[in-house]
Amino acid sequence: MSEHVLEVQTGPDTLAEIQRTLELAWAEDDVPEYTKMCMELAVSEIATNIIAYSADGKPVRLRMAVDVRRDSVGVTFTDDGHPKPIDLGQLSMPDEIAESGRGLALAHRVLDELSYWRDPQGNHWTLHRRRPE
Amino acid sequence: MSDFATRTTESGVVVVQPTGRLNMTASPSLRKQLSNIVEGGKNRIVVDLSTTDFIDSSGLGALIASLKVAREAGGDLCIAAPSPQVCTVLELSNLDQLLRTCDSEDSAFDE
Repeated sequence: MSEHVLEVQTGPDTLAEIQRTLELAWAEDDVPEYTKMCMELAVSEIATNIIAYSADGKPVRLRMAVDVRRDSVGVTFTDDGHPKPIDLGQLSMPDEIAESGRGLALAHRVLDELSYWRDPQGNHWTLHRRRPE
Repeated sequence: MSDFATRTTESGVVVVQPTGRLNMTASPSLRKQLSNIVEGGKNRIVVDLSTTDFIDSSGLGALIASLKVAREAGGDLCIAAPSPQVCTVLELSNLDQLLRTCDSEDSAFDE
C-alpha cells in the first residue's frame, strides 16, 4: 500500500502534474494496464471538471491523493471552489454528435465507485476501482 | 501551443498527427488547427493517432467538432492508427461508428 499526494493551485500545468503523480504511484506497484488506463481516464475527466468549473476556470486549491492497495486503486480530490449541482445518479452519454457532456459519464463507466460531496472545506470527489484477482 | 504536424497526400487528403495527450490542455489547439484547415479549403481530413498516447472527452469533443465542420464543408474526417486506449474510449462513448477508422490515408474517403 502506498499513497501519493499532490497539492497545487490549478493552472495550465495541473493535468500534467496529476499524470506525473499517477505515474509515480504506478511505478511502485504492478498495477494492471487496464486498471491504470481506466483510472487515468477517470482522473483526467474529474480533474478537468474541477479545473474548468470549480471556480469558472479561475485557479482553485486542489489536493489529490492516490492510494494504491493490493486489491484496489483509489483517488481523492478536494478543491476549494464553489459547490457543484451534480446528480451522479443521473449520468448518461449525450448524443453521439454532441461536442461535450461525456466526461462524468465516462468516469462513472470505468470506475466501481464515483462519489461527490460538499463540506466546509470544499468539494470532495472519490474515485475507486477494484484490481482484478 | 504550436500546430501538430500535417502532410497532404497525392489525393489531397490532409493528414494531421497530434502527439502526446489529447486532453483539455491540447484539444483546443487541435480543434483550431483542424478548423483552419477546413477554412483554408481542404475538407477531407485524416487524424493520425499513431503518436497520440491518450484521449479523454475533451479530445473526443475536438474530433467531433472538427468532423462536423468538415462535413458542413462537404468533406469528411476519419481517424487512423488509434491506440488501444483510444479504441476503448471510443467504444465506452459509443463513438466508434461516428469516428470511423480508415485503413489507409489515400483511400480514406473512397466510396
